[in-house]
Amino acid sequence: MTAQDLKERIRAGLDGTVKEIVEPVPGQVYITVDRADIRRAADYVARTFNARFLITAGIDKRDTRGDFEVDHIFGLDPEKMFVTVRSSVPADDTRIDAITPSIPAAGWAEREMQDVVGIAAIGHPDPRRLVTPDDWPDGVYPLRNDFPYGHRPEPVPERPREYLDPPEGASVLPIGPFFPVLEEPSYWRVFIEGETVVGCDYRGFYNHRGIEKLGGTIQTYNEIPFTAQRICGICGFIHSTCYCEAVERAAKIEVPLRALFIRSVVLEFERIESHLLWLGIAAHILGFDTVLMQSWRIREPIMWLCEMLTGNRKAYDVNLVGGVRRDIPRETHPKILEVIASIEKQTAELVSTIPGDSTLLLRCKDVGVLSTEDTRKMAVVGPPARASNVDIDARRDHPYSAYDQIEFDVPVYDTCDVLARIMVRMDETLETIKMIRRLLDRMPEGPIMTKIEDELPPWQEGICTVEAPRGEAIHYVLTGPDNRPARWRVRAPTYPNLQSVPLALEGVQIADVPITIGSFDPCFSCTERVEIVQAKTGETRIYAQEELLELSREKSKAARR
Amino acid sequence: MFASKLKQALICFRAGRVTLPYTFVQAVDTPLRPPEGFRGRMEIDVEKCLGCGGCAEVCPSRLITVHDPCPEKRILEYNLDRCTYCGRCMEVCPEDAITLTQEFENATNDRRDLFIQTEIMMGTCQRCGRCFPPPSALDKIAETGMRNGDESNASP
Amino acid sequence: MNDWWPIALMNLLLVLLLSPLLEGVIRKLKALIHSRKGPPFTQPYLDLLKLLGKEELRSTRSFYFRVAPLAALSAILVAALLVPMGGGSPLGFGGDAIAFLYFFTLSTVAIVMGGFATGSPYAAVGSSREMMMVLTVEPVMAIALITAAAKANTLELGLMSARIADGQLTISLVVAAVALFLALQAQLGKLPFDIPEADQEIMGGPFVETSGPGLALFRLSFFARQLILGSLLIQIFLPWPAFEFIPLNVAVNLVKVFVVIILVGVIDAVVPRLRIDQSMNYFKYVIAVALFGLGFALIGQ
Repeated sequence: MTAQDLKERIRAGLDGTVKEIVEPVPGQVYITVDRADIRRAADYVARTFNARFLITAGIDKRDTRGDFEVDHIFGLDPEKMFVTVRSSVPADDTRIDAITPSIPAAGWAEREMQDVVGIAAIGHPDPRRLVTPDDWPDGVYPLRNDFPYGHRPEPVPERPREYLDPPEGASVLPIGPFFPVLEEPSYWRVFIEGETVVGCDYRGFYNHRGIEKLGGTIQTYNEIPFTAQRICGICGFIHSTCYCEAVERAAKIEVPLRALFIRSVVLEFERIESHLLWLGIAAHILGFDTVLMQSWRIREPIMWLCEMLTGNRKAYDVNLVGGVRRDIPRETHPKILEVIASIEKQTAELVSTIPGDSTLLLRCKDVGVLSTEDTRKMAVVGPPARASNVDIDARRDHPYSAYDQIEFDVPVYDTCDVLARIMVRMDETLETIKMIRRLLDRMPEGPIMTKIEDELPPWQEGICTVEAPRGEAIHYVLTGPDNRPARWRVRAPTYPNLQSVPLALEGVQIADVPITIGSFDPCFSCTERVEIVQAKTGETRIYAQEELLELSREKSKAARR
Repeated sequence: MFASKLKQALICFRAGRVTLPYTFVQAVDTPLRPPEGFRGRMEIDVEKCLGCGGCAEVCPSRLITVHDPCPEKRILEYNLDRCTYCGRCMEVCPEDAITLTQEFENATNDRRDLFIQTEIMMGTCQRCGRCFPPPSALDKIAETGMRNGDESNASP
Repeated sequence: MNDWWPIALMNLLLVLLLSPLLEGVIRKLKALIHSRKGPPFTQPYLDLLKLLGKEELRSTRSFYFRVAPLAALSAILVAALLVPMGGGSPLGFGGDAIAFLYFFTLSTVAIVMGGFATGSPYAAVGSSREMMMVLTVEPVMAIALITAAAKANTLELGLMSARIADGQLTISLVVAAVALFLALQAQLGKLPFDIPEADQEIMGGPFVETSGPGLALFRLSFFARQLILGSLLIQIFLPWPAFEFIPLNVAVNLVKVFVVIILVGVIDAVVPRLRIDQSMNYFKYVIAVALFGLGFALIGQ
């Protein structure tokens, strides 16, 4: 189905309610409907084309056209297209129907929109605060244009966070926010009966950093790649690439092919080091520190390689809008091939010991199962999706950088458990090494950066998705005047995945909770980059302590027999 | 089961011990030695600096400030405690005055260790009075009323 | 036995002063398997000294919480005075294998009660897991000791050791030794059975609220178990070669205990942790095997 067919079918299917359909970038279609029809239109797109919900962006357009805009972005994977259903919301009545009741995957996206842009989602099954802290005043919305960057509202007296209550007969085991295995703060309110989990309420967003506000206000186009690189420690480069390519698509910038190849190679380096790191963490969660040490030892040479090529072990900082800053010259190729060959051999060796290790299998097989149906319902992405028989991969479905220039396999397993997630990541690591060889082989000569003479045209939109090690990340950029974007919406892969973890935790034993959470490879830094918590950090810390003490004095018959 | 354990044991023993003696020895004496092109702490060669302010324009952390107390003098301040080692300043400097060294052990108790202030003598355009870098050292000396640090004769 | 007190003193000193070194060996061995350099052998001593100097934070005023570390350590030390370490059982005139089991389990119970007393859900989970472990692991120890008692016709540990040393290695002794070794792995809190103390899953289990000197005493009691259970295993089931000259006997015992510890350390490094239900399942089989061994002993083998 071509984009033209798609547009025609949508126009026919939503007869009369479509106000406008545009395709500013080939394959990226935007449908405008009336506010009242948003739910019907979103449903139609999701159901008819089997579209996968990606993210919702709320944009404050009061300065330019006097209203707000709500965009629900969907991905059509087989057709390699994006469809955005949008509608405008009047400035004096900031409400719109929620699409979550029929598209559960939109749960957090709409709550976030409520918190930071201030557009209420009517009919949302769980309208609790998501991202703003407990002492943030009501009615103050950080991502609105009249909220200056750097403004700190007076904290209001904290109201207790509303948590879900455990079901009849179950008790609460609080895991987090301070917890040894989870390196970052997250609060899993696990409901248990005996040693079995019957439900879970998650609270996160302890570590907001105001990145979207930064990108939408004071940072210029070429400063944002560096901010994006620092969205996440482990998968920063995908964010900077995704942002750059979104801008390049929006502004129709032609990037030299060699630069695209270099981006792909560095992205694949990132995948290797992320997966090997994760293998170590998963083993550590299981108490198997030997695999932790060995996998991190195997991984170390690639960190040194990246340090040599890009100037830093992890913050590669190679991207700029229009190309890359550093080349990967031919003299370095033998060294790269040597390093990845050694990693390939050692990883294959380490992975070959997993199927025979019966103690490890006891902890991983049939643990933390997330059914294929739930995976699709919550729009899970990345290795957890591929381990549950959902065959999606942004490199193949929505090609970016140089991925349409090489062939590669995408491993998919159907056992839906922790073991499948381990094997998907390990198979991906080995496949990635083959991909790097192909990329280096076919890398064309040429420039690595486009010269951009004129200012980028304002009010152009671009979407890019990138397959991070953890799954698909999506960036949406609306270019603006004055050399900076007007809106930058980021959704990291862990965002949808975390929403599905409570479903995966049902029926799991307490001892398996950390490994189940860990098998989704949550990257909290990526997920929680949304809003400013420049609130007095001292107070926040005290609150967390008190909350924890209070919880720990709660029913201590947590797991009595 | 035993076969896999044996294989794992073999992997471990073949690897030997990989702990590097770093911090008990200098980093340069280990494979941790930063390679060429490593983006470490920024250094500036004042003699080469023109005072163009290009670095201040592109720094994503906004740590470089440009301040003209008078038309003949430009002060550039670098608050390197905010530096993210991205290297944009080095990239855009037209005179290659800025380099990113191999230094990565930059932690300190004293913020002043990470603060650089440079003072650049500028010439002034006859027509508009704006600063531009003077063509020679002689011109710098010829600036009247400007001893080292003495701005008492400078116009506001 | 009028001269029991030098042996008693020797046992006590060995346990207090030497057992941290055994822990140091295990940690160094684990590091070697991890391809790293690891801490120095004396690290456990330094850890204990550091902890003794720290502030004690109390999460509750409960009597059991305050007394648990002392109870755990003192019970273990009494057990140390009942175990032969080459010089026979110093308090053997007052207690036998049953008393040994009693004091050993008392130490575990003290830990469990201390855990429940804190009121922390993590400690509660850890303590309940410890109780479940006790239910499945203690029977193994008991059956193994009864097997040896059947062979030696006595329950007094020193005498048991001497009589078995006079005899030969038989099937029942081997089976019981293997079963006891597995129980040892669990009792020492080593992988794959370190479930109650799993810090990754429940923040340290019963010890989560203990700090400073209390934690030092808990740790020392665990170190002590290594020497005590190791000596028990060696002296009762593998006492050859035995010597009349006590210091030599003690030295030989220490060398053999050292070998056992190395085995414990290797297993600790190469397996992941089991879940509590999986571990209980596992020990069901071990109990069955141990009963088998007992059967052999009763028919004279």
